[in-house]
Amino acid sequence: MTEATYPQCRIVPARLLNPSTVERLLNGIFATGKIRRMVLNGPNLPAEVPYGPAKGLPNPHEGRKTIKVADEDVQLQVQVGVVILELMDEAAIEDLKEVCDRVFTDFSYSIQKGRYMKSQMTLTDYAKYGPGMEKDLLGMADPRSKGCPIIIQGVK
Amino acid sequence: MAYKPQFGPGSTLIAENRRKYMNPGYKLQKMRDVSDEDVVLLMGHRAPGAAYPTAHPPLAEAGEPKCPVRKLVVPLDGAKTGDRVRYIQFSDSMWFAPCHPYLRSYLEAIRYRGVDPGTLSGRQIVECRERDLEKIAKELVSSELFDPARTAIKGATVHGHSLRLAENGMMFDMLQRYVLDPKDKVVKYVKNQIGEPLDKPISVGKPNDDKWLKAHTTIYNCNGGVAFRDDKEYLEWTQRVHSLRTKYGFMPME
Repeated sequence: MTEATYPQCRIVPARLLNPSTVERLLNGIFATGKIRRMVLNGPNLPAEVPYGPAKGLPNPHEGRKTIKVADEDVQLQVQVGVVILELMDEAAIEDLKEVCDRVFTDFSYSIQKGRYMKSQMTLTDYAKYGPGMEKDLLGMADPRSKGCPIIIQGVK
Repeated sequence: MAYKPQFGPGSTLIAENRRKYMNPGYKLQKMRDVSDEDVVLLMGHRAPGAAYPTAHPPLAEAGEPKCPVRKLVVPLDGAKTGDRVRYIQFSDSMWFAPCHPYLRSYLEAIRYRGVDPGTLSGRQIVECRERDLEKIAKELVSSELFDPARTAIKGATVHGHSLRLAENGMMFDMLQRYVLDPKDKVVKYVKNQIGEPLDKPISVGKPNDDKWLKAHTTIYNCNGGVAFRDDKEYLEWTQRVHSLRTKYGFMPME
Protein backbone atom coordinates (compact mmCIF):
# COMPACT_ATOMS: atom_id res chain seq x y z
CA MET A 1 0.00 0.00 0.00
CA THR A 2 1.38 3.42 -0.88
CA GLU A 3 2.10 5.65 2.07
CA ALA A 4 0.45 9.03 2.21
CA THR A 5 2.80 11.97 1.58
CA TYR A 6 1.95 15.25 3.16
CA PRO A 7 2.94 18.65 1.78
CA GLN A 8 5.85 20.41 3.46
CA CYS A 9 6.89 24.04 3.59
CA ARG A 10 9.28 26.25 5.47
CA ILE A 11 8.96 29.75 6.86
CA VAL A 12 12.14 31.82 6.44
CA PRO A 13 12.04 35.23 8.19
CA ALA A 14 14.58 37.92 7.27
CA ARG A 15 15.86 38.02 10.86
CA LEU A 16 16.77 35.43 13.51
CA LEU A 17 13.85 35.39 15.92
CA ASN A 18 13.52 36.29 19.60
CA PRO A 19 11.85 33.69 21.86
CA SER A 20 8.78 35.93 22.29
CA THR A 21 8.30 36.18 18.53
CA VAL A 22 8.73 32.41 18.18
CA GLU A 23 6.08 31.90 20.85
CA ARG A 24 3.59 34.15 19.05
CA LEU A 25 4.38 32.54 15.69
CA LEU A 26 4.06 28.95 16.91
CA ASN A 27 0.84 29.61 18.80
CA GLY A 28 -0.58 31.20 15.66
CA ILE A 29 0.52 28.22 13.58
CA PHE A 30 -0.98 25.71 16.00
CA ALA A 31 -4.24 27.61 16.09
CA THR A 32 -4.70 26.78 12.40
CA GLY A 33 -4.97 23.09 13.40
CA LYS A 34 -3.47 21.90 10.14
CA ILE A 35 0.04 20.97 11.20
CA ARG A 36 1.32 17.39 11.43
CA ARG A 37 5.01 17.90 12.27
CA MET A 38 7.32 20.83 12.84
CA VAL A 39 11.07 21.39 13.17
CA LEU A 40 12.73 24.58 14.44
CA ASN A 41 16.09 25.27 12.84
CA GLY A 42 18.78 27.80 13.63
CA PRO A 43 22.21 28.27 15.15
CA ASN A 44 22.80 26.28 18.34
CA LEU A 45 22.65 27.92 21.79
CA PRO A 46 24.40 25.47 24.15
CA ALA A 47 23.87 25.62 27.91
CA GLU A 48 27.65 25.49 28.46
CA VAL A 49 30.51 26.91 26.43
CA PRO A 50 31.35 23.87 24.27
CA TYR A 51 34.93 24.66 23.30
CA GLY A 52 37.66 27.29 23.52
CA PRO A 53 39.46 28.59 26.61
CA ALA A 54 36.17 29.10 28.49
CA LYS A 55 34.98 25.52 27.84
CA GLY A 56 32.57 24.24 30.49
CA LEU A 57 31.49 27.65 31.82
CA PRO A 58 27.73 28.27 31.92
CA ASN A 59 26.47 30.11 28.86
CA PRO A 60 23.50 32.28 29.80
CA HIS A 61 21.78 33.41 26.58
CA GLU A 62 18.56 35.37 26.13
CA GLY A 63 17.58 33.12 23.21
CA ARG A 64 17.69 29.92 25.27
CA LYS A 65 14.32 30.24 26.95
CA THR A 66 11.34 28.05 27.70
CA ILE A 67 8.29 29.17 25.74
CA LYS A 68 4.69 28.06 26.02
CA VAL A 69 3.21 26.58 22.86
CA ALA A 70 -0.35 25.24 22.98
CA ASP A 71 -0.03 24.68 26.77
CA GLU A 72 3.22 22.72 26.40
CA ASP A 73 6.60 24.00 27.63
CA VAL A 74 9.15 24.09 24.83
CA GLN A 75 12.80 24.63 25.71
CA LEU A 76 14.44 26.50 22.83
CA GLN A 77 17.91 25.20 22.04
CA VAL A 78 18.52 27.28 18.92
CA GLN A 79 17.97 30.87 17.85
CA VAL A 80 15.14 30.15 15.45
CA GLY A 81 15.87 31.08 11.84
CA VAL A 82 13.70 28.62 9.90
CA VAL A 83 10.46 26.83 10.77
CA ILE A 84 9.92 23.62 8.77
CA LEU A 85 6.36 22.33 8.68
CA GLU A 86 4.51 19.27 7.47
CA LEU A 87 0.90 20.16 6.73
CA MET A 88 -2.35 18.25 6.57
CA ASP A 89 -3.07 19.79 3.18
CA GLU A 90 -1.68 22.47 0.92
CA ALA A 91 -4.52 24.89 1.64
CA ALA A 92 -2.95 25.44 5.09
CA ILE A 93 -0.25 27.60 3.48
CA GLU A 94 -2.74 30.45 3.08
CA ASP A 95 -3.50 30.28 6.81
CA LEU A 96 0.24 30.31 7.55
CA LYS A 97 0.65 33.45 5.45
CA GLU A 98 -2.00 35.18 7.52
CA VAL A 99 -0.23 34.21 10.74
CA CYS A 100 3.15 35.37 9.40
CA ASP A 101 1.71 38.71 8.22
CA ARG A 102 0.40 39.23 11.73
CA VAL A 103 3.65 38.30 13.51
CA PHE A 104 6.39 39.60 11.17
CA THR A 105 5.53 43.29 11.10
CA ASP A 106 9.04 44.79 11.20
CA PHE A 107 10.75 42.58 8.62
CA SER A 108 9.93 40.38 5.65
CA TYR A 109 9.65 36.61 5.37
CA SER A 110 9.16 33.96 2.73
CA ILE A 111 7.26 30.68 2.66
CA GLN A 112 8.75 28.01 0.42
CA LYS A 113 7.18 24.72 -0.65
CA GLY A 114 9.30 21.60 -1.03
CA ARG A 115 10.62 18.54 0.85
CA TYR A 116 12.58 19.71 3.88
CA MET A 117 12.26 16.93 6.47
CA LYS A 118 14.41 13.86 6.76
CA SER A 119 12.91 10.99 4.79
CA GLN A 120 15.47 8.24 5.29
CA MET A 121 17.29 6.92 8.32
CA THR A 122 20.95 7.79 8.65
CA LEU A 123 23.45 5.49 10.33
CA THR A 124 23.19 7.63 13.51
CA ASP A 125 19.39 7.26 13.53
CA TYR A 126 19.73 3.51 13.08
CA ALA A 127 22.28 3.24 15.90
CA LYS A 128 20.07 5.21 18.29
CA TYR A 129 16.54 4.08 17.42
CA GLY A 130 17.04 0.65 15.79
CA PRO A 131 15.26 -0.81 12.75
CA GLY A 132 11.72 -0.43 14.07
CA MET A 133 11.74 3.35 14.39
CA GLU A 134 8.46 5.22 14.04
CA LYS A 135 8.76 7.01 10.71
CA ASP A 136 6.97 10.13 11.90
CA LEU A 137 9.67 10.71 14.50
CA LEU A 138 12.47 10.65 11.95
CA GLY A 139 14.39 13.92 11.98
CA MET A 140 12.26 15.40 14.77
CA ALA A 141 15.19 15.57 17.23
CA ASP A 142 18.95 15.55 16.86
CA PRO A 143 19.88 11.83 17.16
CA ARG A 144 23.16 12.79 18.85
CA SER A 145 21.39 14.66 21.65
CA LYS A 146 19.40 13.29 24.56
CA GLY A 147 16.43 15.45 23.55
CA CYS A 148 13.17 14.00 22.34
CA PRO A 149 10.50 15.45 20.06
CA ILE A 150 7.67 17.25 21.82
CA ILE A 151 4.22 15.87 21.12
CA ILE A 152 1.46 18.44 21.39
CA GLN A 153 -1.93 16.87 22.04
CA GLY A 154 -5.20 18.07 20.67
CA VAL A 155 -4.06 18.44 17.09
CA LYS A 156 -5.16 15.79 14.61
CA MET B 1 58.17 60.77 -10.42
CA ALA B 2 57.61 59.45 -6.91
CA TYR B 3 55.62 56.26 -6.60
CA LYS B 4 52.11 56.81 -5.35
CA PRO B 5 50.38 53.67 -4.06
CA GLN B 6 46.90 53.05 -5.41
CA PHE B 7 45.93 50.40 -2.76
CA GLY B 8 43.29 48.80 -4.94
CA PRO B 9 41.12 48.99 -8.06
CA GLY B 10 37.44 49.84 -8.34
CA SER B 11 35.14 52.70 -9.12
CA THR B 12 32.39 52.20 -6.53
CA LEU B 13 31.97 53.63 -3.05
CA ILE B 14 33.04 50.26 -1.60
CA ALA B 15 36.34 50.37 -3.47
CA GLU B 16 36.85 53.99 -2.43
CA ASN B 17 36.29 53.07 1.23
CA ARG B 18 38.76 50.20 0.95
CA ARG B 19 41.42 52.50 -0.47
CA LYS B 20 40.67 55.10 2.18
CA TYR B 21 41.09 52.72 5.13
CA MET B 22 44.28 51.19 3.71
CA ASN B 23 45.86 54.58 3.10
CA PRO B 24 48.06 55.42 6.14
CA GLY B 25 47.70 59.11 5.23
CA TYR B 26 43.99 58.93 6.07
CA LYS B 27 43.30 59.40 9.77
CA LEU B 28 40.64 56.97 10.95
CA GLN B 29 37.64 58.80 12.33
CA LYS B 30 37.18 58.42 16.08
CA MET B 31 33.66 57.29 16.91
CA ARG B 32 33.71 56.45 20.62
CA ASP B 33 35.75 56.58 23.80
CA VAL B 34 36.91 53.27 25.18
CA SER B 35 39.24 53.42 28.18
CA ASP B 36 42.55 51.54 28.41
CA GLU B 37 41.13 49.49 31.26
CA ASP B 38 38.09 48.46 29.19
CA VAL B 39 40.30 47.29 26.33
CA VAL B 40 42.38 45.19 28.74
CA LEU B 41 39.21 43.68 30.22
CA LEU B 42 37.71 42.96 26.78
CA MET B 43 40.81 41.08 25.69
CA GLY B 44 41.15 39.24 28.99
CA HIS B 45 44.88 38.53 28.82
CA ARG B 46 45.82 40.21 32.12
CA ALA B 47 44.14 42.05 34.98
CA PRO B 48 44.05 45.86 34.53
CA GLY B 49 46.96 47.47 36.34
CA ALA B 50 48.90 44.19 36.64
CA ALA B 51 52.52 44.09 35.45
CA TYR B 52 53.08 42.78 31.94
CA PRO B 53 54.24 39.16 32.13
CA THR B 54 57.38 38.61 30.07
CA ALA B 55 58.45 35.96 27.61
CA HIS B 56 62.15 36.84 27.66
CA PRO B 57 64.51 39.28 29.46
CA PRO B 58 64.58 42.91 28.26
CA LEU B 59 66.66 43.33 25.11
CA ALA B 60 69.08 45.69 26.93
CA GLU B 61 69.99 42.86 29.30
CA ALA B 62 69.87 40.07 26.73
CA GLY B 63 73.27 40.84 25.20
CA GLU B 64 72.21 40.83 21.58
CA PRO B 65 74.73 39.74 18.94
CA LYS B 66 76.23 42.40 16.66
CA CYS B 67 73.92 42.51 13.67
CA PRO B 68 73.38 45.35 11.17
CA VAL B 69 69.69 44.48 10.76
CA ARG B 70 69.08 44.71 14.51
CA LYS B 71 70.63 48.18 14.39
CA LEU B 72 68.36 49.20 11.55
CA VAL B 73 65.09 47.90 12.99
CA VAL B 74 64.03 49.74 16.12
CA PRO B 75 62.21 47.29 18.44
CA LEU B 76 58.69 48.02 19.67
CA ASP B 77 58.28 48.99 23.32
CA GLY B 78 56.85 45.55 24.04
CA ALA B 79 59.77 43.81 22.35
CA LYS B 80 62.27 45.95 24.28
CA THR B 81 60.77 44.87 27.59
CA GLY B 82 60.20 41.26 26.54
CA ASP B 83 56.37 41.24 26.64
CA ARG B 84 54.38 38.19 25.64
CA VAL B 85 52.71 38.11 22.23
CA ARG B 86 48.93 38.37 22.63
CA TYR B 87 45.96 38.75 20.30
CA ILE B 88 42.63 40.40 19.61
CA GLN B 89 40.21 38.87 17.15
CA PHE B 90 37.36 40.54 15.26
CA SER B 91 34.38 39.19 13.40
CA ASP B 92 32.58 41.42 10.88
CA SER B 93 29.02 40.79 9.75
CA MET B 94 28.50 40.60 6.01
CA TRP B 95 25.50 42.89 6.55
CA PHE B 96 27.40 46.09 5.82
CA ALA B 97 30.00 46.02 8.59
CA PRO B 98 32.48 48.86 8.10
CA CYS B 99 35.45 46.52 7.72
CA HIS B 100 36.04 42.88 6.75
CA PRO B 101 38.73 40.29 7.55
CA TYR B 102 40.94 40.68 4.47
CA LEU B 103 40.89 44.45 4.62
CA ARG B 104 41.69 44.38 8.33
CA SER B 105 44.86 42.43 7.64
CA TYR B 106 45.87 44.70 4.78
CA LEU B 107 45.33 47.91 6.71
CA GLU B 108 46.95 46.64 9.92
CA ALA B 109 50.02 45.47 8.02
CA ILE B 110 50.23 48.89 6.35
CA ARG B 111 49.40 51.06 9.37
CA TYR B 112 51.13 49.31 12.28
CA ARG B 113 54.63 47.98 12.94
CA GLY B 114 55.39 44.63 14.54
CA VAL B 115 51.96 43.08 14.06
CA ASP B 116 51.06 39.66 12.74
CA PRO B 117 47.59 39.88 11.23
CA GLY B 118 45.85 36.73 10.08
CA THR B 119 42.66 36.40 8.06
CA LEU B 120 40.26 33.49 8.20
CA SER B 121 36.90 33.21 6.47
CA GLY B 122 34.80 34.88 9.14
CA ARG B 123 37.31 36.35 11.56
CA GLN B 124 40.54 38.23 11.69
CA ILE B 125 43.18 37.97 14.37
CA VAL B 126 46.01 40.38 15.03
CA GLU B 127 48.93 39.38 17.21
CA CYS B 128 51.47 41.72 18.73
CA ARG B 129 53.51 42.38 21.87
CA GLU B 130 51.03 42.92 24.68
CA ARG B 131 51.50 46.62 25.48
CA ASP B 132 51.60 47.56 21.79
CA LEU B 133 48.56 45.41 21.09
CA GLU B 134 46.58 47.31 23.71
CA LYS B 135 47.26 50.59 21.91
CA ILE B 136 46.33 49.11 18.53
CA ALA B 137 43.19 47.41 19.90
CA LYS B 138 42.06 50.67 21.49
CA GLU B 139 42.48 52.52 18.21
CA LEU B 140 40.63 49.82 16.24
CA VAL B 141 37.72 49.61 18.67
CA SER B 142 37.24 53.36 18.99
CA SER B 143 37.55 54.08 15.25
CA GLU B 144 35.08 53.96 12.37
CA LEU B 145 36.27 50.41 11.55
CA PHE B 146 34.16 49.13 14.46
CA ASP B 147 30.38 49.14 14.60
CA PRO B 148 28.95 47.91 17.92
CA ALA B 149 26.21 45.84 16.27
CA ARG B 150 27.90 44.51 13.12
CA THR B 151 31.46 44.06 14.39
CA ALA B 152 32.35 41.90 17.37
CA ILE B 153 35.39 41.07 19.44
CA LYS B 154 35.31 37.29 19.47
CA GLY B 155 38.40 35.41 20.59
CA ALA B 156 36.73 32.02 20.25
CA THR B 157 33.40 30.70 18.93
CA VAL B 158 33.14 33.29 16.19
CA HIS B 159 30.16 31.86 14.26
CA GLY B 160 27.72 34.54 13.09
CA HIS B 161 29.27 36.80 10.46
CA SER B 162 27.29 35.28 7.58
CA LEU B 163 24.03 34.68 9.43
CA ARG B 164 20.95 36.85 9.32
CA LEU B 165 20.91 39.54 11.99
CA ALA B 166 18.80 39.25 15.13
CA GLU B 167 15.54 41.19 15.36
CA ASN B 168 17.30 44.07 17.12
CA GLY B 169 19.94 44.30 14.37
CA MET B 170 22.76 42.59 16.30
CA MET B 171 25.08 40.01 14.80
CA PHE B 172 24.53 36.49 16.18
CA ASP B 173 26.85 35.37 18.95
CA MET B 174 26.45 31.91 20.46
CA LEU B 175 28.10 33.09 23.69
CA GLN B 176 26.19 36.40 23.80
CA ARG B 177 29.26 38.40 24.72
CA TYR B 178 27.44 41.62 23.88
CA VAL B 179 23.88 42.77 24.42
CA LEU B 180 21.89 45.74 23.20
CA ASP B 181 20.53 47.58 26.22
CA PRO B 182 16.82 48.09 25.43
CA LYS B 183 16.66 51.29 27.54
CA ASP B 184 19.54 53.41 26.28
CA LYS B 185 20.13 51.46 22.98
CA VAL B 186 23.81 51.08 23.80
CA VAL B 187 25.75 47.89 23.12
CA LYS B 188 27.44 46.48 26.20
CA TYR B 189 29.96 43.67 26.46
CA VAL B 190 29.10 41.34 29.34
CA LYS B 191 31.83 38.80 28.59
CA ASN B 192 35.42 39.14 27.43
CA GLN B 193 36.51 37.95 24.00
CA ILE B 194 36.78 34.28 24.97
CA GLY B 195 33.42 34.20 26.78
CA GLU B 196 34.34 34.67 30.45
CA PRO B 197 31.84 36.89 32.30
CA LEU B 198 32.97 40.44 33.13
CA ASP B 199 32.43 41.98 36.56
CA LYS B 200 30.78 45.04 35.02
CA PRO B 201 29.40 45.60 31.52
CA ILE B 202 31.59 47.57 29.12
CA SER B 203 29.80 50.03 26.89
CA VAL B 204 30.98 50.37 23.28
CA GLY B 205 28.36 52.88 22.17
CA LYS B 206 25.25 52.97 20.03
CA PRO B 207 25.04 50.98 16.78
CA ASN B 208 25.26 53.08 13.62
CA ASP B 209 22.17 53.34 11.45
CA ASP B 210 21.82 51.61 8.06
CA LYS B 211 22.49 54.81 6.13
CA TRP B 212 25.84 55.32 7.86
CA LEU B 213 26.77 51.65 7.48
CA LYS B 214 26.03 51.59 3.76
CA ALA B 215 28.11 54.74 3.28
CA HIS B 216 31.08 53.32 5.21
CA THR B 217 30.99 49.61 4.41
CA THR B 218 33.75 47.85 2.49
CA ILE B 219 31.68 44.76 1.69
CA TYR B 220 30.05 44.11 -1.66
CA ASN B 221 26.56 42.74 -1.11
CA CYS B 222 23.89 42.46 -3.80
CA ASN B 223 21.17 42.24 -1.14
CA GLY B 224 20.56 45.92 -0.58
CA GLY B 225 24.10 47.19 -1.17
CA VAL B 226 26.54 47.49 -4.06
CA ALA B 227 26.89 44.22 -6.00
CA PHE B 228 30.42 43.05 -6.76
CA ARG B 229 29.49 42.57 -10.43
CA ASP B 230 28.57 46.25 -10.69
CA ASP B 231 32.18 47.22 -10.11
CA LYS B 232 33.58 46.47 -13.57
CA GLU B 233 37.13 47.58 -12.79
CA TYR B 234 37.36 45.53 -9.58
CA LEU B 235 35.91 42.48 -11.34
CA GLU B 236 38.35 42.81 -14.23
CA TRP B 237 41.35 42.96 -11.91
CA THR B 238 40.16 40.07 -9.76
CA GLN B 239 39.69 37.94 -12.88
CA ARG B 240 43.12 38.97 -14.14
CA VAL B 241 44.77 37.93 -10.85
CA HIS B 242 42.94 34.58 -10.86
CA SER B 243 43.79 33.96 -14.49
CA LEU B 244 47.48 34.76 -14.09
CA ARG B 245 47.95 32.69 -10.95
CA THR B 246 46.16 29.72 -12.53
CA LYS B 247 48.34 29.88 -15.63
CA TYR B 248 51.44 30.30 -13.50
CA GLY B 249 50.55 27.27 -11.43
CA PHE B 250 50.03 25.24 -14.58
CA MET B 251 53.12 26.27 -16.53
CA PRO B 252 55.40 28.72 -14.70
CA MET B 253 57.90 29.15 -17.56
CA GLU B 254 55.37 30.97 -19.76
